[in-house]
Amino acid sequence: MNAVGGMRRRVLVLYCPGWSSSAQRSPAQDEQAGPGAQDLDRVISVLEEFCPQVEVLHPGVCAISVRGPARYFGGEEELARKISEAIIRRGLDCRTGIADGLFTAVLAARAEPSGAVVPPGGAAAFLAPFPVTALEIPELDDLLPRLGITTLGEFAALPAAVAANRLGAQGVLAHRLARGLDPRPLVPRQPAADLSVEWEFDPPAEQSEPVVFAAKALADQLQAGLAARRLACVRMRVQAVCEDGREIIRLWRYDGLLSAVAVAERVRWQLESWRTSQDLGAGAAGGRADGRADGRAVGPGGGITLLRLTPDQLVRDEGRQLGLWGDAVVSDRVARAAAGVQAMLGHGAVTRPVLAGGRSPAEQVLLVPFGDAAAPLLPAGRPWPGNIPAPAPATVYPAPLSARITDSSGTPVTVTGRVQMSDFPALLSAGGGPPLAVISWAGPWPATERWWDPPRARRRARFQIVTEDGSAWLAVVQDGRWLIEASYDLMAYYWDGARVTGTVPSYRDGARAPTEYRRNR
Amino acid sequence: MGAGITQVTSLSSRQHDDVVLPGKDVLPGKDVLPGKDVLPGKDVLPGEDVLPVLPVLRGLLPAGGLLRGSVVAAGRWSMLCLALAAGASVDGAWCAVAGLPQLGVRAAADAGLDSGRLLLIADPGTGWPQVVASLLDGFEIVLLRPPERPSAQLRRRVEAAVRRHGSVLVVAGDWDGAQVRLHIARQEWTGIGVGHGRLRARRVEVVADGRGAWARPRTRWLWLPGPDGSVTAAADWVVGAGSADGAGGSNSAWTDHRGAVAVSGAG
Repeated sequence: MNAVGGMRRRVLVLYCPGWSSSAQRSPAQDEQAGPGAQDLDRVISVLEEFCPQVEVLHPGVCAISVRGPARYFGGEEELARKISEAIIRRGLDCRTGIADGLFTAVLAARAEPSGAVVPPGGAAAFLAPFPVTALEIPELDDLLPRLGITTLGEFAALPAAVAANRLGAQGVLAHRLARGLDPRPLVPRQPAADLSVEWEFDPPAEQSEPVVFAAKALADQLQAGLAARRLACVRMRVQAVCEDGREIIRLWRYDGLLSAVAVAERVRWQLESWRTSQDLGAGAAGGRADGRADGRAVGPGGGITLLRLTPDQLVRDEGRQLGLWGDAVVSDRVARAAAGVQAMLGHGAVTRPVLAGGRSPAEQVLLVPFGDAAAPLLPAGRPWPGNIPAPAPATVYPAPLSARITDSSGTPVTVTGRVQMSDFPALLSAGGGPPLAVISWAGPWPATERWWDPPRARRRARFQIVTEDGSAWLAVVQDGRWLIEASYDLMAYYWDGARVTGTVPSYRDGARAPTEYRRNR
Repeated sequence: MGAGITQVTSLSSRQHDDVVLPGKDVLPGKDVLPGKDVLPGKDVLPGEDVLPVLPVLRGLLPAGGLLRGSVVAAGRWSMLCLALAAGASVDGAWCAVAGLPQLGVRAAADAGLDSGRLLLIADPGTGWPQVVASLLDGFEIVLLRPPERPSAQLRRRVEAAVRRHGSVLVVAGDWDGAQVRLHIARQEWTGIGVGHGRLRARRVEVVADGRGAWARPRTRWLWLPGPDGSVTAAADWVVGAGSADGAGGSNSAWTDHRGAVAVSGAG
């Protein structure tokens, strides 16, 4: 608990805003919401021109150590400027931040408009105005403000012992972060034993599957070696060597302790990014042609001959203290299953829902890729005047269905700016399906949202409609167009009691359904 | 507009709450089934090999819960699927949902599913059997809407994974080998009128049947959802003419607690 003094590690963090926000988008909006392997590789190949060791914190955020490169490239500001220019030249947006320690550097990189350079020793002062939520420790987000502590500066001003007494191990960690120190003191000694593990492939592995499989076994072996020494690894160096001797090294950081499947997953990403890579950096010109000609080869220079995992940053394994009540603890079994599916479908395809604030049912849920942490953009639990009253609809279309709602004479129902309806709705037809008679309805409920922000402003009116088959719909009219945002349970897709007359509305794009509704009785 | 309303019946709130109208197999004390149907010692508290369900659903399922290693087909995607998973989720089970990007998370939370123990796989893709098998390994309940009708071979493979991991697969659709099948036969929304009110609650008639001893269909009326989104038992309601043929315009209407007119849609 005392490795405070001495030389602080200067860190540069590169933050690509557009990229990491893909976690905030729903997978339906972003079809290739995976790890962004290609962008990842582009950014890393640029960074590697400045510093050979690049640490990927999570997609969109990378870190390098500043000391050497800054001396070579003429100072920290100059280094940051050169890196941003190089990345922007590749067509990616980025910000850079330099500070003592990783946590401060990440916040510095997020600073508007283009990141910040925090002078040595200035971390605590830089952090002071940030709200305590910047710590991203959910348990403290709520607790500290209730104790009257709203900023990191106020929190850092508490004596460390008080923080430890009141908040436990997590509090100690948070308090160190708030003071601009590393979250845990690094183990001061070098590990005496070589803890790295490796796997030789003979003959060389041409496909990524055996490499990923080996990575899983290696990770187990590594874990066992670390556990025997009561160490835990928070950063891992993955080195893959090709037949012709070229190698690619990646550093992976994983929040929480690395599980074997998590390691295998990262190795897979690394190999995939390698295969799809366009720019393999210096010296790759020769091997590139054959690497690209054979689409199945995993590496640029033929198959993989060696895979080595090295634990790069070690901390004492203090275990993790779980909350006493109510924490949804992700058990190993669940995490393994989820990671297995992520390996098949991509990182963004497996999501956990977070309830958020908002008026429409689609706004009220944020889907966060499993393993990522994200706070809802709009907080839940606040009053949202004009939201849809309970009960909530069980079906919320990711993309609203187009609809046609007409009065008894067959002309579309319109709603004026003063919320006057042209006539009562009589027929509803959703997603190109057959028209259904409306037997009861309620509305219009006007909602004028974000009038202060013209591009995002919208005026709409909502209706609840029950049709003859017993289905209930949440319809919305905007600019004269009717959309079905959600439905309470549908009795059937156009189920009229005796036969099926329609097709399943496609929930993906609101367009024509690809599959016939089969249930024909 | 208003087509098909032939009869408006007024029931006072007291009548509605307290009087259990004579139904096929409802006895006083809503959850008890006639003796013949009760498996000895099995329907009261679910044991090790049974995942608990909401109390109102106990009577509809063999052993009073979701038998581990079994497949339950819920007819089609509806709130019934959420209600089936809710009881176990309250009890601490993790639930994965595959192939249902349209799942309303708030409705799920209101029905009792813990959204903190919920995982959504919007599109399991063409390799969905593998995805489902992986999920069954880690999750007690997997809610699946298969993208296509599975072949018998594929179906048996998934069923084998269900048995191996001791999980429960709830299918939002048809599943030929399901031990239990549930579907909503009829439903009525209450609280909404013609141009006034709002959707407040829905009464549904859930019919369950299955294989073996469970082959005889049994029926329950539920509030799905109730006024606050929860799932509770509803008194049986005899529709004057709400018969199964439905198409003949034999819809009927009734009043809910607040006097708003509700119209039934015949199933």
